[in-house]
Amino acid sequence: MKKYTFIIIALFAFFINAYLTKAQPTTKDASVKVTGEVTLPLDLKLADLQQFKQTEVTRKDRDGKDHTYSGVILSEILQKAGVTLGKDLRGENLTKFVQVTASDGYQVVFALAELDKDFTDRMIILADKVDGKPLLPADGPFRIIVQDEKKPARCIKQVSGIKVQFAK
Amino acid sequence: MKINKYNIVFIRHKGFVILVLLLLITALSAWTTIRDAIETGPYQLVYPANFGNRINVPDDNPTTKQGVYLGRLLFYEKKLSANNTLSCASCHQQDKAFTDGKALSEGVDQVLTARNSMSLANLLWTRKFFWDGRAGSLEDQAITPMINPHEMGQSLDVSVKKLSNTATYPALFKLVYGNETITGDRICKAISQFERTLISCNSRYDQYLKNAYLPTRQELNGMNLFMNGPNPEKGIRGANCAHCHGGPKTYNELFHNNGLDSIPKDVGIESLTGLAADRGRFKVPTLRNIALTSPYMHDGRFKTLEEVVDHYSDHLKESEALSTFLRGESNDIGGKTLHLRPDEKKDIIAFLNMLTDSTFINDPRFSDPNKTIALKKSKSNSK
Ligand code: HEC
Ligand code: HEC
Repeated sequence: MKKYTFIIIALFAFFINAYLTKAQPTTKDASVKVTGEVTLPLDLKLADLQQFKQTEVTRKDRDGKDHTYSGVILSEILQKAGVTLGKDLRGENLTKFVQVTASDGYQVVFALAELDKDFTDRMIILADKVDGKPLLPADGPFRIIVQDEKKPARCIKQVSGIKVQFAK
Repeated sequence: MKINKYNIVFIRHKGFVILVLLLLITALSAWTTIRDAIETGPYQLVYPANFGNRINVPDDNPTTKQGVYLGRLLFYEKKLSANNTLSCASCHQQDKAFTDGKALSEGVDQVLTARNSMSLANLLWTRKFFWDGRAGSLEDQAITPMINPHEMGQSLDVSVKKLSNTATYPALFKLVYGNETITGDRICKAISQFERTLISCNSRYDQYLKNAYLPTRQELNGMNLFMNGPNPEKGIRGANCAHCHGGPKTYNELFHNNGLDSIPKDVGIESLTGLAADRGRFKVPTLRNIALTSPYMHDGRFKTLEEVVDHYSDHLKESEALSTFLRGESNDIGGKTLHLRPDEKKDIIAFLNMLTDSTFINDPRFSDPNKTIALKKSKSNSK
């Protein structure tokens, strides 16, 4: 009797343990969460990006060659989320910045004014394609492309979050 | 010898008198040690400027001297475990830079933990805790080992009861929180305050960064290999370690798949996000005191730094989630692996040994308080 209780308990512990440590993840689709100083938080999947106007930016990658990236101008996504751009980008709103996070934890920031059409013609896009093809898994599915910036360090790959914040 | 009346009284009651005297002395010394030892007020967290000020202290748990004092006692408190045998310090031992030297650690139920115990240093700058970063603060982190049946295995309610029934803790909680109520939340907060003080900033590498230490040729060569990516076309040799482990703290809060397995048994942060790109991704841990924290990796699979460097040089396992920082990095033109020379591997290990901070592992502020109080007493007795 004792032996059976032990076996039952051992089996139970084994399954609980297996369940806790190895809960087989169901593979999900990547998305970009837009949060912070927004009126409408967004969680954008690849298909959602197609709802926006598509823009192309050409820049060199680490291989030294020109590539054409396509995607959506970042400020248009932020506008959809209700971020203070255009005529509202004045006063204390000029102390806002945009923190972009990648799935490996890497982070970069842009001043909000760096993204606004009234301040600059330089385009910063959230790209999902390179030379007409989806980004490689190691780069995508979403990547920020900064037109003409000399270093590629802010062309952050595997973007998972965009957060608008006030500088303190 | 003349025997007078008083002497007789004394001799008769000698045992009793001595007992009373002893009691008085212990009471007095206990009272004075508590009074002497516990300073109050804000705790100054001192660290070098090059560590930066992106520190992580929640608004509702400022670091105070009395909080750190209590937190240290709790960190070493075995009453927080189901059978009074384990404390945090059982798996996080100071002389091993707060690890335990085991691949996996045994909990109160003799079952092994799922992952390797992590070194605790410079947590003040950490924002995501555990190998998969699943805890967002030290306060949240501390609950897990306490209630996990394979670690300390005791509910917070039971811990609260046990501490409430002691002579010392209620008064200490009053000193820290204003009243004697002990709660799970207060226990976690005090432990976190203590953990934030575990600052390691006096390794030979720190001294080198302050121009106070001249590295040997071997250390310098290892440092260069560690910091640089290889570029065989230009004749630059490198190991590219700093891409993930760089900076003055040798910690950047990144999560990567460093090629341990093609099909990982433990999928790492994929189990939290469900994303294939996160398969086998784990926290890039600090390399501070790395020579003291063997065995290595989330499952403790490597016993020596030699094995670790061999892994990066020659044995990376291909998979879709393998970090791009480790792909196509080679010291041979068109090569697939780093392919370091045996002398270069030794140089890198010499640099890793520069990260050992003996001040940190011997700092009396971080040691077992039960032992230091005993030590203090024996010291003052011998005076
Ligand atoms: C039985 C051994 C064991 C005990 C007891 C234990 N730990 Fe741990 N600790 C571990 C293991 C194993 C990990 C890694 C677990 C994981 O990633 O899932 C860890 C991770 C941590 C981390 C994360 C560090 C980082 O850099 O992310 C902290 C902080 C920590 N422990 C603090 C504590 C505290 C505080 C206690 C006491 C309340 C405690 N530990 C008790 C084994 C233990
Ligand atoms: C792509 C990022 C990356 C690069 C580049 C990298 N590492 Fe790591 N390193 C990691 C990750 C991630 C872990 C933890 C992996 C795990 O346990 O699953 C780790 C673990 C380690 C550990 C064990 C730490 C511990 O506490 O167990 C050592 C030592 C180490 N790396 C040294 C090096 C050296 C030396 C180099 C250069 C040759 C290097 N790493 C390059 C990401 C990286």
